[in-house]
Amino acid sequence: MATTTVRRPAAAGLSAGNAVTGTGTLLRFMLRRDRIRFPAWTLGLALLMTYFATALDTIVQSPADLEGLTAFSGSPAGALFGGPGFGFDNLTIERFLAGQYGLHVAVGAGLMGLLTVVRHTRAEERSGRAELIRANVVGRHAQLTATLILAATMAVLVGLLIAGTMASRGFDVGGSLLFGASIGAAGLAFAGVAAVTVQLSEYPRAASGMAGAALGAAFVLRGLGDMAAVQGSGPSWLSWLSPIGWSQQTAPYVHNRWWPLAISLGFAVAAGTVGYALSRRRDFGAGLVPPRPGSPRAAAWLASPFALAFRLHRASLIGWSAALLVAGLAYGSFTQPLLDGLADAPEDLVALMGGSENLLDGYLGMMALTMGLVVGVYAVLAVQSVRAEEADGRAEPVLATAVSRAVWLASHVAVAAIGALWLLLVAGLGIGAGAAISTDDAGLIGELLLGHLAHTPAVWLVLTAATLVYAVAPRALPVIWVVLGWGLIAGYFAPILDIPDAALRLSPFEHIGEYPLEDINLIAVSVLTVLSAAVFQAAVVVIRRRDLAGRA
Amino acid sequence: MNPAIDIYHLDKSFGRVKALDGLDLRVATGTVHGFLGPNGAGKSTTIRILLGLLRADAGQVRLLGSDPWADAVTLHRRLAYVPGDVELWPNLTGGEVIDLFARLRGGTDPVRRDELCQRFDLDPSKKGRTYSKGNRQKVALIAALASDVELLLLDEPTAGLDPLMEAVFQECIREAKDAGRTVLLSSHILAQVEVLADQISIIRQGTIVETGSLTDLRHLTRTSVDAITDRPAESLRDLSGVHNLRSEDGHIRFEVDGDHLAAAVRRLGDLDVQGLTVRPPTLEQLLLRHYGDQLVHKGAAEVA
Repeated sequence: MATTTVRRPAAAGLSAGNAVTGTGTLLRFMLRRDRIRFPAWTLGLALLMTYFATALDTIVQSPADLEGLTAFSGSPAGALFGGPGFGFDNLTIERFLAGQYGLHVAVGAGLMGLLTVVRHTRAEERSGRAELIRANVVGRHAQLTATLILAATMAVLVGLLIAGTMASRGFDVGGSLLFGASIGAAGLAFAGVAAVTVQLSEYPRAASGMAGAALGAAFVLRGLGDMAAVQGSGPSWLSWLSPIGWSQQTAPYVHNRWWPLAISLGFAVAAGTVGYALSRRRDFGAGLVPPRPGSPRAAAWLASPFALAFRLHRASLIGWSAALLVAGLAYGSFTQPLLDGLADAPEDLVALMGGSENLLDGYLGMMALTMGLVVGVYAVLAVQSVRAEEADGRAEPVLATAVSRAVWLASHVAVAAIGALWLLLVAGLGIGAGAAISTDDAGLIGELLLGHLAHTPAVWLVLTAATLVYAVAPRALPVIWVVLGWGLIAGYFAPILDIPDAALRLSPFEHIGEYPLEDINLIAVSVLTVLSAAVFQAAVVVIRRRDLAGRA
Repeated sequence: MNPAIDIYHLDKSFGRVKALDGLDLRVATGTVHGFLGPNGAGKSTTIRILLGLLRADAGQVRLLGSDPWADAVTLHRRLAYVPGDVELWPNLTGGEVIDLFARLRGGTDPVRRDELCQRFDLDPSKKGRTYSKGNRQKVALIAALASDVELLLLDEPTAGLDPLMEAVFQECIREAKDAGRTVLLSSHILAQVEVLADQISIIRQGTIVETGSLTDLRHLTRTSVDAITDRPAESLRDLSGVHNLRSEDGHIRFEVDGDHLAAAVRRLGDLDVQGLTVRPPTLEQLLLRHYGDQLVHKGAAEVA
């Protein structure tokens, strides 16, 4: 573990000028390292806003369509996932974009800020690269300073790009600038939060986890506050405890208030100052929170390749279960407001949900498909972690014991397959419970459970196909995202885009049926299951024959 | 008795790079065999073929009498392996990993495991991500040494260990040998292998260039001597086995073949030696001296 050996002589570290020596060079170096990541984040967030704007344009054809949206977004559930709904009583497109979708972009900007700071500070220290840098003529605070300048630059750029995007669509320039600035402010605030959390733990994942938890808390606080505000009773002041809330309280295109951003800016500066202060109190490479010891012995059940695979996937499964349960409850509780709102929603949207007679079943079937795709993401990530086991050299000592490659691979895939089934069960239960409470119809729980579980074989096929790609050519694994991408397009945009049937049926998710809107196709379920097993067999045959990747 | 390891004319290529080129290696059962070679010579590739992790392109490989590719699982019950670069799961403790490996191999001896943890001074309650390189190495070593197996395959097992732990390691290898186990010990440090190995094979660019007992390889161990004497050292020049004698102002340097070291030291005594430094040759020097062709340029810089 790194120690204090690279610390600069005490006398040299005292003046501020010395402590930030080398900041400029480091900043240029970071920009060089982030030559893909920097434009990906900044342009990506601007593109996301453009996408929301374009999508809204296609859905909303008339003022009546806009009113239909208000009914949904003005409800408490809409406020939770949108915002306080400033000016929604006299809705315009730009007010809806800023008030409903601005939240997603602000959360994205917050993620950008915190991940950028963790990447260039704690992650560098953990990898040992920062030690090399600090051994050169570089001040103690140069790394943090350069990182914060980088994060601030990204935040400003995102703000300008989004302001430009909105202004170019003909929306009010002043409001567009304010909207852009409020998004950038969220990025800045969470860069400040991360400047604190990176001082606390030795591990980059823990640092981004803590900052991410702060982001989640900020989301929930303003969600509760906004719900209260929309209902006209309750603790609406909660929104003012959240950096995202400050960004939303600017009310672009309505009140056009700039002053809440002063709070954001002050918060970012204060958090950054705390970060500097904490960094002075710790050794290089160390955290302020010491790591906890674990068990010196393995539990009795940790005695088979399957048990090991379960142990390695366990943390991720717990995280996914919690996230899907919460998301399920939230989306389920949307059900009644949505039904009320969709009664006079735009036609295309209604068509997507299966037409006006089947709105409830359509919405619930749609949720099941969505969760199927999300759990598909879990399956692909699980295979990626298997690949990392091999690439990082952790599979080698396991395979040097009495464990065959077939059993090793089967253990991991079996855990992921059971995990996928479990996650669909949890998601179905969450949405079912949420919908049952929202509509007062307990029977929905059973229907949703069935609708979700029915998608399991499709997820299994994604899982085993990913495994086969990994077995044949580990580097090509990202190709499998195409399957999920197509599943998303086929599931969501088929009615709008006029995709031919044959092309639709290439997606494994298009065969089972979106229960309860459609019946479950039992033949498709069996065929997909058998096919998954066959594809997995092929993966085993391939991995038995090839050389194992080594680190050396 | 059948040899524990019997490799004949083994070839292995990675793309256009030829890693092993007609490698022959025999390790007798119950011996400690030093597998010596510079980095990148093919030591790890050989061991990974013995483990059935890589497939041989050509040649014959027998491990404990079986084919390591086809019978990997059965063979792995009878051997333990320590990689040169140990990677652990970040959120499993060292103790969990040791227990897991022992169980996956089929047998575990908790008493011996605890004793080894103590001897190697390892805290088994720390998480994998908090261990230094040396401590990760200890985890793999304890897992291997605690298991009751016939063969130990050790790939540069002490790369991250300090001298104290190196001594513990040597003790453990001697115990393993006394228990009748076979050990294949790969290393790029001659001195380490010298103290442990009954037999040594030197690999270079995928081929075994020298194999035999330490005495057989005596001619390879030419020692560098650096001495300050009161009297002129010219008489050393006539001594057989002395090479490259240089002297200025009573400071003399020369190299001497291993089996003539005693005579040379005796002669130095007669010359009223005041100071004496004796250095064993490095592997690089050896290879340079005996097989130096491509190595000359790289090696010359290191020796100078």
